[in-house]
Amino acid sequence: MKFWMQRVAMAILLLLSVSALTFGAMNVLGDPLFNILGPLAGDVNNPKSAALIEEVKAKYDLDKPLPVRYVKWLGDFATGDMGVQFSTDGQPPVSGLIKERIPRTITLLVMAQLLAVMISIPWAAITAARAGKRSDKISTMNSFFLLAMPNFALAILLKYIFSLKLGWFPLTYKAIDPYFERLRQVFLAAVTIALPAAAVYQRLLRTDLITTLQQDFILMARAKGLSRSRVIFRHAIRPSMFSFITVVGLNTGGLIGGAIVVETVFRIPGIGSSLVESVLREDFPVVLAIVMLIALAFVIINVLVDILYSIIDPRVRR
Amino acid sequence: MSEETETTVTLSDSPEPETNAALQKKIGWGFWLAISWVIFITLLAILAPYLHLKDPRGYFIDLDGNGRPPYGPSFEHWFGTDKDARDMFSRSLHGARISLIVGFSAISFGFLIGGTLGIIAGYFRGWLDKIISFTFIVLLSFPSLVLAIMLTALLNRSLFTISMILGILAIAPVGRLARASTLQFSDREFVLAARQIGASDSRIILRELLPNVVIPMSALALLGMAVAIVAEGGLAFLGLSVSQGITWGSLIQIGSDSATTLENAPWIAFFPILLLFLTVLSLNFAGDRLRSHLDVKESSL
Amino acid sequence: MNDSEPRTTTPLLEVSDLKTYFRTERGTVKAVDGVSFSLQRGQSLGIVGESGSGKTVLSRSIMGLLGRTNLIREGSIKFNEKELMGLSVKEMRSIWGQEMSMIFQDPMTSLNPVMKIGRQIAEPLMLHLGMNKSEARLTAEKLLTDVRIPEPQRRLNQYPHELSGGMRQRVMIAIALACGPTLLFADEPTTALDVTVQAEILHLINEQRVDRNMSLILVTHNIGVVAGNTDVIAVMYGGKIVEKAPTKTLFSSYKMPYTEALMRSIPKLRQASHTRLATIPGRPPDMVNPPLGCNFAPRCAYARPKCLVEEPELTATENPEHVYACFYPVGSPEYHERKLELSQRVDSFSTGGQN
Repeated sequence: MKFWMQRVAMAILLLLSVSALTFGAMNVLGDPLFNILGPLAGDVNNPKSAALIEEVKAKYDLDKPLPVRYVKWLGDFATGDMGVQFSTDGQPPVSGLIKERIPRTITLLVMAQLLAVMISIPWAAITAARAGKRSDKISTMNSFFLLAMPNFALAILLKYIFSLKLGWFPLTYKAIDPYFERLRQVFLAAVTIALPAAAVYQRLLRTDLITTLQQDFILMARAKGLSRSRVIFRHAIRPSMFSFITVVGLNTGGLIGGAIVVETVFRIPGIGSSLVESVLREDFPVVLAIVMLIALAFVIINVLVDILYSIIDPRVRR
Repeated sequence: MSEETETTVTLSDSPEPETNAALQKKIGWGFWLAISWVIFITLLAILAPYLHLKDPRGYFIDLDGNGRPPYGPSFEHWFGTDKDARDMFSRSLHGARISLIVGFSAISFGFLIGGTLGIIAGYFRGWLDKIISFTFIVLLSFPSLVLAIMLTALLNRSLFTISMILGILAIAPVGRLARASTLQFSDREFVLAARQIGASDSRIILRELLPNVVIPMSALALLGMAVAIVAEGGLAFLGLSVSQGITWGSLIQIGSDSATTLENAPWIAFFPILLLFLTVLSLNFAGDRLRSHLDVKESSL
Repeated sequence: MNDSEPRTTTPLLEVSDLKTYFRTERGTVKAVDGVSFSLQRGQSLGIVGESGSGKTVLSRSIMGLLGRTNLIREGSIKFNEKELMGLSVKEMRSIWGQEMSMIFQDPMTSLNPVMKIGRQIAEPLMLHLGMNKSEARLTAEKLLTDVRIPEPQRRLNQYPHELSGGMRQRVMIAIALACGPTLLFADEPTTALDVTVQAEILHLINEQRVDRNMSLILVTHNIGVVAGNTDVIAVMYGGKIVEKAPTKTLFSSYKMPYTEALMRSIPKLRQASHTRLATIPGRPPDMVNPPLGCNFAPRCAYARPKCLVEEPELTATENPEHVYACFYPVGSPEYHERKLELSQRVDSFSTGGQN
C-alpha cells in the first residue's frame, strides 16, 4: 500500500513541476499580448488599441503576477476549462477542439500498439526458435535498418508505395462511415508508428524467449512429443512476457511523439497535428493544453506500468 | 616386476580456461566503414561552399525547352531539381551542414551539461544527487519531441537555439549514464587511493573519474548524435527547425508536401532521405559496435 | 559388440555401437563412444557413472532429444524392432510421451512454473490419445492417485511451486506414465530430493514399472540408488560401458577397478561416523582428446603400462551376462600384487617410516 502511495505522490509532484515549468515558459518566453493582438499590442498611444489592450489584459488576467495566474490556470484545467484559443475570429474554447480531435489520435495509438504487439510476438517466436541461424541474422539486420529510418521518412515511403503507387489507402483523411473505412484511413499512419515499435518489442521478447527455451521444462515439453510451435506458444511465451509487457506499456508514451509526425504526414486531424499547427500559429493556450494532456497521459501510464509490474513480478507471487 | 610401477601418471589437465580470443573481439570492419561514411559526409558538408556546386538557392530553369521543372536526375543535376528548379545535389550537401552541425552541437551541449551534472550527482550523492536525479526524471517525463516542439514555439529559431533545445533533450539520458558510471567507479580502489593521499574532490573527479566515465559515454555519443540528427530532421520536417535554413528535414518536407510532387518527382524527397538514412545508420551501427566492444573489454577486467 | 541374452524373445530396445559426438570450438567431444546393450520388456537397467561419463547424453541420445546442430550421432537403436536412428524429429514426436518417456532430475525446473499441474498432465493425453478436456482431466486425476498424491482434485488446479519437491517429482512421474509408455527413462530422478523422499520415489517408480510391465532405464551417479531397483547395471566411464552385469552379480563379483572404487565411495552405515569418505582422485577424462588406452588408467590404482597404450575390450566372465573391459581386473594375480604393494606402502607411512 505504501508503495502505491509513494508512486502516486511522486506522479503528482512530477505533474506539478511539469505544468509549472510549461506554464512559466509559455508566459515568460512568449508574449501573449503580442500573440493575440499582433502589432497592435505595442500601440499604446492609440486610444482604440489601448482599450483593446486593456480588454485583453483583463480577459486573460495578464496583469496579475505569474504564480497567481498559474494557480488559476491549474484550477481551471483541473475542472476541464482549458481556456480559449488565441484567434481573432471568436474565441472557441480549447476544450472543444481537444474533444473533437482526441478520438482520432487515440484510435491511431491503439491501432498502432495493437499492430506492434501482433507483429512482434510471432516474429520473436520465429527468430528465437532459429536463433543464430541465417534467418535470425537477417532479421536482426532488417530491424537495425528499420530503426535507423526516421519516422517521417518511413511515413513518406509508405505513403508513396501504398497510397500513390498502389492506391490501397486514401491520401487524405475524411471522416466517413462506416467505422471500418475510418480505420482504413489511419491504417498507414498506424503502421508507420507500429513498425519501429515492433522491432524494439521483438528484440526484447526474442532475448527472453531464448533464455526461457533453455530451461529444463522446455526439454520436458519436447519430450512429451509436443510440436515445436506448441512448445513455443504454449510453454515458452508466457514466462517470457514480463519485460515485454513492461516495455509495451512504457513505450505507449513514446508512441505519442510518433503520432505527431504521422498525423502531419497523413493529414489526420488529431491532437498531434493540432499541436504542430498551434505552435506555428503561436496559439499558446492550445499548445499549453495539449502539452499538459500529453504529460498527464505519459505520467499516468508510467505509474500504471510500475504498479502493474509490481503485481505480476514473480518474486512477489506467493 | 620392479619397473616404474609408479601410478603417478599425469592426470589429465584441468580444463583450460576460456580462450581470450572471444574477449578481444575486434571492432570489425563494419565499424570503420560506418565511421568513414560519417567523416565523408561531414567533410562534404564542411567543404560544400567551396566545392563548385550550384547555388543551392538558385533557380535553374532550363530555357532550352526541356520541359518544366522538376527535372529528374541528369548529368547536369546529379540529384535532379525540385519544382522550382533548384539543384538538389547542392541543396542536399548544404542541408548536411545544418543537420550535422545541429547534431554535433546538441550532443556536445548535452554531454557537457548532462555529463557534469551526472558526475556531480554520482560523486557527491546526498541531497545534491536527489535534486539532480529529480531534474532528470522531470526532463524524461515528456516525450522528447513534444518538449522540443514546445521550446521551438517559444524561442527564436536560430542555429544556436535549436542546437541548445536538442541538447537539453540529451541532458537526462547522458546524465543518468554519467551518474551510474560515476557511482560504479567511485567504489573502485583507485579512487579510494587518491582520497587517501588527500587529493581534493575536483582533482579526483578530473583525474580519476572523468577519464574512466568518458569511455562508456563515447558509444552513447555516437548514438546520441544519430538521435539528434533525426530529431532535427523531424523538427525541420514539421517546419520548426532553423528558420530559412536548408536542412535534410526541410528538403524532405518540400519534396513530399504535395502528393503530386511526391508521385511524379520522388527524387526530390528520396535523395535527402537516403543521405539521412545512411548517416543515421552509420552512427547507430558504429555506436552499437563500440558499445559491445567496450562491454567485452570491461567484463574481462 | 553384442552380448547375448539367454532369452529368445526379441528385446524391446537394442542399442548397437551408439556414438554421440558434439562439435565444439575446442574440438569434437566424444560424449558417448560406442555403447551397446539390449533391454527386454519389463526389465530395468541402471546406468551408473560420474558426471561427465556420458550417461545423461546416452539416455537423451537414445531418445533422440538432443538438438541437431553440431551433433554427430551414429549407430543403431532398435525399439520394438523399429530403427530409430535417422528418423526425423516429426517421426520421433509420435514416440515421445507415448511409447518412450523421460523423468528429469529437477522437478522444480522441469515443470512449467506458470501452468497448472492438471494441464501439464493432460497435454500428452490430449495430444497422443486424443482425449478431450474432461476425459483428460479424469485420467489425470487417476494418475495422481496412482502416484500417491493425496487430494488429487485440488492438486490439478495448483501450480508447481505450491507442491513439495517430492510431490513435484510424483507429478513428473504421472506425466511420464500418462500415455502408458513401454520404456521409461529416469535421469537422476532422486538427486534433487531429500534423502527421506528418495526411497519413496524409487519405490514408486519400481512399483509402476512392475504394474505396467514397463522397461526402465535408470541413470544415476549414485550406485546405491540402483542397488535395489534394477535387474541389470551398466557402469559407464569416459563415454563407454566398462562393466555390465545383473545387479546381484555386480555387487558380489565386480571386476572393474572403477566399479570397485564406486562401491567403496558409498558411505556405509556400519562405518564409524568420522570415517573419511573414499573418493576417487583425479577428474574424468577430457572427451575431446581421450587418453590412449584405457580411459580410466590415469586414475586407476592398479594400472600398468599396457593400460596406458592399449584399450581393453568388453569380455565376458563365465556368466555371459557379465561383461567387463580390463586387462587386470579384480581377482587377477596382478591385481592382488598391486594391492599388496599399496597396503605395504600405507603401513610404512603409519609406522612413521622413512620417506
